[in-house]
Amino acid sequence: MSNIGKDDVARNPLMGTSKGAPGPRSPPDMAVISRVSISQIVGLVESIDEVGGQADIATIAQEVDMDLDRLGPVVDAAEFLGLLNVVDGDLRVNDLSRRVLTSRVKERKAIIRDIIEDVPVFRQVTTLVRAAGRPLERKEVLATLSTHVGGHHAEDFFKALVYWGRYVELVRYDSETEQVSLREPSP
Amino acid sequence: MTEARPLLEVRDVSKSFFEDSKEFKVLDGIRFDVRDRDFVCVVGSSGCGKSTLLRVIVGLEPPTAGDVRFEGQPIRADNPQVAMVFQSFALFPWLTAEQNIELGLEARPISPEARRARAAKYVDAVGLTGFENAYPRELSGGMKQRVGLARALAIEPDLLCMDEPFYALDTLTAQSLRDEILQLWGDPALPPRAVLMVTHSIEEAVYLADRVIVLSDRPGRVLAERRIDLPRPRNRKEPEFYGWVDELYSLIV
Repeated sequence: MSNIGKDDVARNPLMGTSKGAPGPRSPPDMAVISRVSISQIVGLVESIDEVGGQADIATIAQEVDMDLDRLGPVVDAAEFLGLLNVVDGDLRVNDLSRRVLTSRVKERKAIIRDIIEDVPVFRQVTTLVRAAGRPLERKEVLATLSTHVGGHHAEDFFKALVYWGRYVELVRYDSETEQVSLREPSP
Repeated sequence: MTEARPLLEVRDVSKSFFEDSKEFKVLDGIRFDVRDRDFVCVVGSSGCGKSTLLRVIVGLEPPTAGDVRFEGQPIRADNPQVAMVFQSFALFPWLTAEQNIELGLEARPISPEARRARAAKYVDAVGLTGFENAYPRELSGGMKQRVGLARALAIEPDLLCMDEPFYALDTLTAQSLRDEILQLWGDPALPPRAVLMVTHSIEEAVYLADRVIVLSDRPGRVLAERRIDLPRPRNRKEPEFYGWVDELYSLIV
Protein backbone atom coordinates (compact mmCIF):
# COMPACT_ATOMS: atom_id res chain seq x y z
CA MET A 1 0.00 0.00 0.00
CA SER A 2 3.01 2.26 0.07
CA ASN A 3 2.50 3.56 -3.45
CA ILE A 4 -0.91 5.04 -2.77
CA GLY A 5 -1.61 8.36 -4.31
CA LYS A 6 1.83 9.05 -5.71
CA ASP A 7 0.23 11.05 -8.51
CA ASP A 8 -1.73 13.18 -6.12
CA VAL A 9 1.25 13.62 -3.87
CA ALA A 10 3.51 14.64 -6.72
CA ARG A 11 1.51 17.80 -7.37
CA ASN A 12 2.36 19.25 -4.03
CA PRO A 13 5.71 21.03 -3.88
CA LEU A 14 6.25 20.28 -0.21
CA MET A 15 5.65 16.59 -0.72
CA GLY A 16 8.92 16.64 -2.62
CA THR A 17 8.44 13.87 -5.16
CA SER A 18 8.43 16.21 -8.13
CA LYS A 19 11.62 17.92 -7.09
CA GLY A 20 12.40 21.20 -8.76
CA ALA A 21 9.05 21.58 -10.48
CA PRO A 22 7.65 25.00 -9.67
CA GLY A 23 4.53 24.66 -7.56
CA PRO A 24 1.43 26.46 -8.75
CA ARG A 25 0.83 27.88 -5.27
CA SER A 26 3.03 29.12 -2.48
CA PRO A 27 3.89 26.50 0.17
CA PRO A 28 1.12 26.11 2.72
CA ASP A 29 1.35 27.79 6.07
CA MET A 30 2.09 24.91 8.44
CA ALA A 31 1.27 26.97 11.53
CA VAL A 32 -2.32 27.08 10.34
CA ILE A 33 -2.47 23.63 8.75
CA SER A 34 -1.16 21.83 11.81
CA ARG A 35 -4.32 22.78 13.71
CA VAL A 36 -6.56 21.03 11.22
CA SER A 37 -7.78 17.59 12.24
CA ILE A 38 -8.14 14.58 9.96
CA SER A 39 -11.87 14.59 10.78
CA GLN A 40 -12.20 18.08 9.35
CA ILE A 41 -10.38 17.02 6.19
CA VAL A 42 -12.65 14.01 5.77
CA GLY A 43 -15.70 16.20 6.44
CA LEU A 44 -14.56 18.64 3.76
CA VAL A 45 -13.93 15.93 1.19
CA GLU A 46 -17.34 14.46 1.91
CA SER A 47 -19.12 17.77 1.45
CA ILE A 48 -17.41 18.28 -1.91
CA ASP A 49 -18.30 14.74 -2.92
CA GLU A 50 -21.93 15.41 -2.03
CA VAL A 51 -22.21 18.30 -4.44
CA GLY A 52 -20.79 16.23 -7.30
CA GLY A 53 -17.09 16.04 -6.51
CA GLN A 54 -16.14 19.53 -7.62
CA ALA A 55 -16.99 23.02 -6.41
CA ASP A 56 -15.45 26.40 -5.79
CA ILE A 57 -14.47 27.25 -2.26
CA ALA A 58 -17.22 29.85 -1.81
CA THR A 59 -19.88 27.27 -2.62
CA ILE A 60 -18.41 24.83 -0.13
CA ALA A 61 -18.10 27.52 2.52
CA GLN A 62 -21.81 28.14 2.13
CA GLU A 63 -22.59 24.41 2.07
CA VAL A 64 -20.83 23.74 5.36
CA ASP A 65 -21.66 27.10 6.90
CA MET A 66 -18.06 28.05 7.69
CA ASP A 67 -16.37 31.31 6.78
CA LEU A 68 -13.35 31.28 4.49
CA ASP A 69 -10.92 32.10 7.29
CA ARG A 70 -11.77 28.84 8.96
CA LEU A 71 -12.29 26.76 5.84
CA GLY A 72 -9.08 27.87 4.10
CA PRO A 73 -6.72 25.98 6.42
CA VAL A 74 -8.77 22.80 6.03
CA VAL A 75 -8.51 23.12 2.24
CA ASP A 76 -4.75 23.68 2.50
CA ALA A 77 -4.31 20.71 4.81
CA ALA A 78 -6.37 18.44 2.55
CA GLU A 79 -4.32 19.57 -0.44
CA PHE A 80 -1.08 19.14 1.46
CA LEU A 81 -1.99 15.51 2.17
CA GLY A 82 -3.05 14.95 -1.44
CA LEU A 83 -6.69 14.36 -0.54
CA LEU A 84 -7.91 17.25 -2.64
CA ASN A 85 -6.87 18.89 -5.89
CA VAL A 86 -7.22 22.61 -6.30
CA VAL A 87 -7.55 23.50 -9.97
CA ASP A 88 -8.38 27.04 -11.14
CA GLY A 89 -10.00 27.83 -7.81
CA ASP A 90 -12.11 24.67 -7.88
CA LEU A 91 -11.82 22.02 -5.20
CA ARG A 92 -11.90 18.50 -6.60
CA VAL A 93 -12.02 15.14 -4.91
CA ASN A 94 -9.64 12.53 -6.33
CA ASP A 95 -9.29 8.75 -6.31
CA LEU A 96 -7.48 8.81 -3.01
CA SER A 97 -10.13 10.87 -1.24
CA ARG A 98 -12.88 8.70 -2.72
CA ARG A 99 -11.14 5.69 -1.21
CA VAL A 100 -10.96 7.43 2.15
CA LEU A 101 -14.68 8.23 1.99
CA THR A 102 -15.75 4.67 1.30
CA SER A 103 -13.51 3.05 3.89
CA ARG A 104 -14.08 2.37 7.55
CA VAL A 105 -12.04 3.99 10.30
CA LYS A 106 -9.24 1.38 10.36
CA GLU A 107 -8.71 1.38 6.64
CA ARG A 108 -8.97 5.13 6.52
CA LYS A 109 -6.20 5.39 9.08
CA ALA A 110 -4.03 3.01 7.04
CA ILE A 111 -4.45 5.10 3.89
CA ILE A 112 -3.63 8.36 5.64
CA ARG A 113 -0.77 6.71 7.51
CA ASP A 114 0.87 5.88 4.18
CA ILE A 115 0.46 9.46 3.04
CA ILE A 116 1.94 10.93 6.20
CA GLU A 117 4.85 8.51 6.18
CA ASP A 118 5.62 9.64 2.65
CA VAL A 119 5.91 13.32 3.51
CA PRO A 120 9.70 13.77 3.19
CA VAL A 121 10.17 15.91 6.27
CA PHE A 122 8.17 13.50 8.41
CA ARG A 123 10.14 10.62 6.95
CA GLN A 124 13.34 12.28 8.16
CA VAL A 125 12.00 12.09 11.69
CA THR A 126 10.70 8.54 11.55
CA THR A 127 13.96 7.33 10.01
CA LEU A 128 15.88 9.03 12.78
CA VAL A 129 13.75 7.49 15.54
CA ARG A 130 14.11 4.05 13.96
CA ALA A 131 17.86 4.43 13.68
CA ALA A 132 18.15 5.61 17.28
CA GLY A 133 16.34 2.55 18.55
CA ARG A 134 14.96 4.58 21.46
CA PRO A 135 12.37 7.29 21.96
CA LEU A 136 13.62 10.73 20.95
CA GLU A 137 13.33 13.86 23.02
CA ARG A 138 11.09 16.57 21.67
CA LYS A 139 14.18 18.79 21.40
CA GLU A 140 16.00 16.27 19.24
CA VAL A 141 13.06 16.01 16.88
CA LEU A 142 12.74 19.79 16.69
CA ALA A 143 16.44 20.04 15.84
CA THR A 144 15.99 17.61 12.94
CA LEU A 145 12.92 19.42 11.70
CA SER A 146 14.78 22.75 11.91
CA THR A 147 17.44 21.58 9.48
CA HIS A 148 14.73 20.76 6.95
CA VAL A 149 12.10 23.45 7.34
CA GLY A 150 13.92 26.14 9.31
CA GLY A 151 13.81 26.95 12.98
CA HIS A 152 10.65 29.00 13.06
CA HIS A 153 8.58 26.35 11.23
CA ALA A 154 9.92 23.37 13.17
CA GLU A 155 7.40 23.71 16.00
CA ASP A 156 4.46 23.69 13.56
CA PHE A 157 5.69 20.61 11.74
CA PHE A 158 6.24 18.94 15.10
CA LYS A 159 2.65 19.69 16.07
CA ALA A 160 1.35 18.27 12.80
CA LEU A 161 3.53 15.17 13.05
CA VAL A 162 2.36 14.43 16.59
CA TYR A 163 -1.27 15.25 15.96
CA TRP A 164 -1.75 13.44 12.67
CA GLY A 165 0.86 10.82 13.50
CA ARG A 166 -1.04 9.85 16.61
CA TYR A 167 -4.32 9.56 14.71
CA VAL A 168 -2.86 7.24 12.08
CA GLU A 169 -1.01 5.22 14.72
CA LEU A 170 2.42 6.06 13.38
CA VAL A 171 3.73 8.10 16.28
CA ARG A 172 3.49 7.87 20.03
CA TYR A 173 4.00 11.02 22.04
CA ASP A 174 4.06 11.38 25.80
CA SER A 175 3.43 15.00 26.68
CA GLU A 176 4.69 14.45 30.25
CA THR A 177 8.12 13.08 29.33
CA GLU A 178 8.09 14.89 25.95
CA GLN A 179 9.28 11.77 24.17
CA VAL A 180 8.48 10.73 20.64
CA SER A 181 8.49 7.09 19.60
CA LEU A 182 7.07 5.05 16.73
CA ARG A 183 4.32 2.51 16.92
CA GLU A 184 2.82 -0.24 14.87
CA PRO A 185 -0.87 0.12 14.06
CA SER A 186 -3.16 -1.97 16.24
CA PRO A 187 -4.33 -5.19 14.56
CA MET B 1 -49.04 -11.42 16.64
CA THR B 2 -47.81 -9.82 19.82
CA GLU B 3 -44.91 -7.42 19.54
CA ALA B 4 -41.94 -7.69 21.85
CA ARG B 5 -41.97 -5.27 24.76
CA PRO B 6 -40.23 -1.97 23.85
CA LEU B 7 -36.81 -1.36 25.34
CA LEU B 8 -37.89 2.06 26.55
CA GLU B 9 -41.37 3.31 27.24
CA VAL B 10 -41.98 7.01 27.83
CA ARG B 11 -45.47 7.32 29.22
CA ASP B 12 -47.23 10.70 29.38
CA VAL B 13 -44.21 12.42 30.87
CA SER B 14 -44.72 16.00 32.03
CA LYS B 15 -42.16 18.12 33.78
CA SER B 16 -42.58 21.48 35.47
CA PHE B 17 -40.17 23.69 37.34
CA PHE B 18 -41.45 25.89 40.14
CA GLU B 19 -40.16 29.33 40.98
CA ASP B 20 -41.78 31.71 43.47
CA SER B 21 -44.75 29.34 43.53
CA LYS B 22 -45.17 29.88 39.78
CA GLU B 23 -45.20 26.84 37.55
CA PHE B 24 -43.08 26.64 34.39
CA LYS B 25 -44.20 23.72 32.33
CA VAL B 26 -41.34 22.34 30.24
CA LEU B 27 -42.72 19.03 29.00
CA ASP B 28 -46.33 18.10 28.46
CA GLY B 29 -47.60 14.54 28.11
CA ILE B 30 -44.69 13.08 26.14
CA ARG B 31 -45.34 9.56 25.00
CA PHE B 32 -43.27 7.30 22.74
CA ASP B 33 -41.39 3.99 22.64
CA VAL B 34 -37.89 3.00 21.65
CA ARG B 35 -37.53 -0.54 20.37
CA ASP B 36 -34.66 -2.87 19.63
CA ARG B 37 -32.49 -1.65 16.70
CA ASP B 38 -34.19 1.76 16.72
CA PHE B 39 -32.16 4.90 16.09
CA VAL B 40 -34.50 7.61 17.34
CA CYS B 41 -33.91 11.35 17.13
CA VAL B 42 -35.97 13.84 19.10
CA VAL B 43 -35.90 17.26 17.41
CA GLY B 44 -37.11 20.58 18.63
CA SER B 45 -35.99 24.19 18.75
CA SER B 46 -33.76 25.30 21.60
CA GLY B 47 -35.56 25.66 24.87
CA CYS B 48 -38.29 23.16 23.96
CA GLY B 49 -37.28 20.92 26.82
CA LYS B 50 -35.59 18.14 24.87
CA SER B 51 -32.50 18.02 27.09
CA THR B 52 -34.76 17.93 30.14
CA LEU B 53 -36.63 15.07 28.50
CA LEU B 54 -33.39 13.15 28.12
CA ARG B 55 -32.48 13.79 31.76
CA VAL B 56 -35.86 12.44 32.82
CA ILE B 57 -35.47 9.42 30.55
CA VAL B 58 -32.12 8.43 32.03
CA GLY B 59 -33.45 8.96 35.54
CA LEU B 60 -31.40 12.03 36.43
CA GLU B 61 -34.58 14.02 37.09
CA PRO B 62 -38.00 12.78 38.21
CA PRO B 63 -40.97 13.63 35.98
CA THR B 64 -43.74 15.77 37.49
CA ALA B 65 -46.24 13.34 36.01
CA GLY B 66 -46.05 10.14 33.99
CA ASP B 67 -43.30 7.56 34.04
CA VAL B 68 -40.39 6.06 32.16
CA ARG B 69 -39.85 2.32 31.97
CA PHE B 70 -36.81 0.46 30.81
CA GLU B 71 -37.53 -3.16 29.89
CA GLY B 72 -40.77 -2.78 31.78
CA GLN B 73 -39.14 -1.53 35.01
CA PRO B 74 -39.16 2.05 36.31
CA ILE B 75 -35.96 3.79 35.19
CA ARG B 76 -33.16 4.37 37.74
CA ALA B 77 -30.28 6.79 37.42
CA ASP B 78 -27.78 4.01 38.15
CA ASN B 79 -29.17 1.72 35.45
CA PRO B 80 -26.04 0.15 33.92
CA GLN B 81 -27.86 -0.58 30.66
CA VAL B 82 -28.19 3.10 29.78
CA ALA B 83 -25.26 5.37 28.91
CA MET B 84 -25.09 9.03 28.00
CA VAL B 85 -22.99 11.18 25.68
CA PHE B 86 -22.95 14.88 26.53
CA GLN B 87 -22.85 17.98 24.38
CA SER B 88 -19.99 19.40 26.44
CA PHE B 89 -17.99 16.11 26.40
CA ALA B 90 -17.79 16.09 30.25
CA LEU B 91 -14.18 14.90 30.43
CA PHE B 92 -11.82 15.24 33.38
CA PRO B 93 -8.92 17.42 32.20
CA TRP B 94 -6.40 15.80 34.54
CA LEU B 95 -7.06 12.29 33.22
CA THR B 96 -5.82 10.85 29.93
CA ALA B 97 -8.27 9.70 27.26
CA GLU B 98 -7.95 6.11 28.43
CA GLN B 99 -8.35 7.02 32.11
CA ASN B 100 -11.47 9.03 31.30
CA ILE B 101 -12.93 5.99 29.57
CA GLU B 102 -11.97 3.59 32.35
CA LEU B 103 -13.54 5.87 34.91
CA GLY B 104 -16.97 5.00 33.57
CA LEU B 105 -16.24 1.38 34.44
CA GLU B 106 -14.92 1.95 37.95
CA ALA B 107 -18.17 1.07 39.67
CA ARG B 108 -18.44 -2.18 37.71
CA PRO B 109 -17.60 -5.51 39.28
CA ILE B 110 -14.76 -6.26 36.87
CA SER B 111 -11.04 -6.66 37.44
CA PRO B 112 -8.63 -3.83 36.58
CA GLU B 113 -7.23 -5.95 33.72
CA ALA B 114 -10.69 -6.56 32.28
CA ARG B 115 -11.44 -2.87 32.67
CA ARG B 116 -8.31 -1.94 30.74
CA ALA B 117 -9.10 -4.46 28.00
CA ARG B 118 -12.65 -3.15 27.75
CA ALA B 119 -11.46 0.44 27.48
CA ALA B 120 -8.90 -0.54 24.83
CA LYS B 121 -11.59 -2.26 22.77
CA TYR B 122 -13.71 0.88 22.59
CA VAL B 123 -10.75 3.20 22.16
CA ASP B 124 -10.07 1.22 19.02
CA ALA B 125 -13.69 1.06 17.89
CA VAL B 126 -14.11 4.85 17.89
CA GLY B 127 -10.74 5.48 16.22
CA LEU B 128 -8.98 6.86 19.29
CA THR B 129 -6.06 4.45 19.16
CA GLY B 130 -2.95 6.59 19.24
CA PHE B 131 -4.47 9.07 21.69
CA GLU B 132 -4.75 6.74 24.71
CA ASN B 133 -2.26 8.71 26.77
CA ALA B 134 -3.29 12.14 25.48
CA TYR B 135 -4.93 14.63 27.84
CA PRO B 136 -8.13 16.41 26.79
CA ARG B 137 -6.18 19.65 26.18
CA GLU B 138 -4.19 17.81 23.49
CA LEU B 139 -7.36 16.70 21.70
CA SER B 140 -9.52 18.41 19.08
CA GLY B 141 -13.24 18.71 19.75
CA GLY B 142 -13.92 15.70 17.56
CA MET B 143 -11.43 13.58 19.46
CA LYS B 144 -12.85 14.74 22.80
CA GLN B 145 -16.29 13.63 21.73
CA ARG B 146 -14.85 10.28 20.64
CA VAL B 147 -13.62 9.88 24.21
CA GLY B 148 -17.13 10.66 25.44
CA LEU B 149 -18.53 8.11 23.02
CA ALA B 150 -15.99 5.41 23.94
CA ARG B 151 -16.70 5.99 27.63
CA ALA B 152 -20.42 5.48 27.02
CA LEU B 153 -19.93 2.42 24.77
CA ALA B 154 -17.47 0.80 27.20
CA ILE B 155 -20.36 0.42 29.64
CA GLU B 156 -21.84 -1.81 26.90
CA PRO B 157 -25.27 -0.24 27.30
CA ASP B 158 -28.48 -1.44 25.70
CA LEU B 159 -29.62 2.14 25.20
CA LEU B 160 -27.24 4.92 24.22
CA CYS B 161 -28.55 8.42 24.88
CA MET B 162 -26.90 11.40 23.24
CA ASP B 163 -27.60 15.03 24.07
CA GLU B 164 -26.68 17.23 21.07
CA PRO B 165 -23.38 15.34 20.69
CA PHE B 166 -22.26 17.37 17.65
CA TYR B 167 -23.32 20.79 18.86
CA ALA B 168 -19.91 21.92 20.11
CA LEU B 169 -18.12 20.78 16.93
CA ASP B 170 -17.49 22.59 13.67
CA THR B 171 -19.66 21.37 10.80
CA LEU B 172 -16.88 19.41 9.07
CA THR B 173 -15.88 17.51 12.20
CA ALA B 174 -19.53 16.93 13.03
CA GLN B 175 -20.19 15.38 9.64
CA SER B 176 -17.33 12.90 9.80
CA LEU B 177 -18.24 11.96 13.36
CA ARG B 178 -21.87 11.39 12.36
CA ASP B 179 -20.68 8.98 9.69
CA GLU B 180 -18.44 7.16 12.13
CA ILE B 181 -21.32 6.79 14.56
CA LEU B 182 -23.43 5.27 11.79
CA GLN B 183 -20.58 2.87 10.99
CA LEU B 184 -20.47 1.80 14.64
CA TRP B 185 -24.24 1.50 14.72
CA GLY B 186 -24.11 -0.71 11.63
CA ASP B 187 -21.81 -3.17 13.40
CA PRO B 188 -24.06 -5.72 15.12
CA ALA B 189 -21.14 -6.94 17.25
CA LEU B 190 -21.08 -3.65 19.13
CA PRO B 191 -23.54 -2.20 21.65
CA PRO B 192 -26.01 -0.54 22.00
CA ARG B 193 -29.32 -2.12 21.01
CA ALA B 194 -30.91 1.28 20.49
CA VAL B 195 -29.96 4.96 20.28
CA LEU B 196 -31.96 7.93 21.49
CA MET B 197 -30.53 11.28 20.51
CA VAL B 198 -31.81 14.81 20.92
CA THR B 199 -30.87 17.53 18.47
CA HIS B 200 -32.05 20.94 17.31
CA SER B 201 -31.09 20.08 13.72
CA ILE B 202 -33.77 18.55 11.52
CA GLU B 203 -31.20 17.78 8.84
CA GLU B 204 -29.10 15.91 11.33
CA ALA B 205 -32.11 13.93 12.53
CA VAL B 206 -33.09 12.95 8.98
CA TYR B 207 -29.48 12.02 8.22
CA LEU B 208 -29.16 9.71 11.21
CA ALA B 209 -32.48 8.41 12.43
CA ASP B 210 -34.81 5.53 11.68
CA ARG B 211 -37.49 7.47 13.49
CA VAL B 212 -37.83 11.18 14.22
CA ILE B 213 -39.97 12.59 17.00
CA VAL B 214 -40.78 16.28 16.61
CA LEU B 215 -41.38 18.37 19.72
CA SER B 216 -43.27 21.66 19.87
CA ASP B 217 -41.92 24.81 21.51
CA ARG B 218 -42.18 24.99 25.28
CA PRO B 219 -43.92 23.26 26.80
CA GLY B 220 -42.62 20.41 24.66
CA ARG B 221 -45.35 18.17 23.23
CA VAL B 222 -44.97 15.47 20.61
CA LEU B 223 -46.11 17.09 17.36
CA ALA B 224 -45.36 14.17 15.09
CA GLU B 225 -43.50 10.94 14.76
CA ARG B 226 -42.10 9.87 11.40
CA ARG B 227 -40.26 6.81 10.18
CA ILE B 228 -37.43 7.81 7.83
CA ASP B 229 -37.19 4.93 5.40
CA LEU B 230 -34.32 6.26 3.27
CA PRO B 231 -31.50 3.79 2.66
CA ARG B 232 -28.07 4.54 4.17
CA PRO B 233 -25.71 6.15 3.45
CA ARG B 234 -28.05 9.07 2.92
CA ASN B 235 -27.19 11.92 0.62
CA ARG B 236 -28.22 15.31 1.93
CA LYS B 237 -28.51 16.62 -1.62
CA GLU B 238 -31.09 14.14 -2.83
CA PRO B 239 -34.70 15.24 -3.31
CA GLU B 240 -36.06 12.47 -1.09
CA PHE B 241 -33.82 13.65 1.73
CA TYR B 242 -34.93 17.22 1.26
CA GLY B 243 -38.54 16.15 1.10
CA TRP B 244 -38.23 14.78 4.61
CA VAL B 245 -36.42 17.85 5.91
CA ASP B 246 -39.09 20.15 4.43
CA GLU B 247 -41.91 18.11 5.87
CA LEU B 248 -40.46 18.17 9.37
CA TYR B 249 -39.70 21.89 9.13
CA SER B 250 -43.30 22.58 8.20
CA LEU B 251 -44.38 20.84 11.40
CA ILE B 252 -42.27 23.07 13.61
CA VAL B 253 -42.99 26.48 12.07
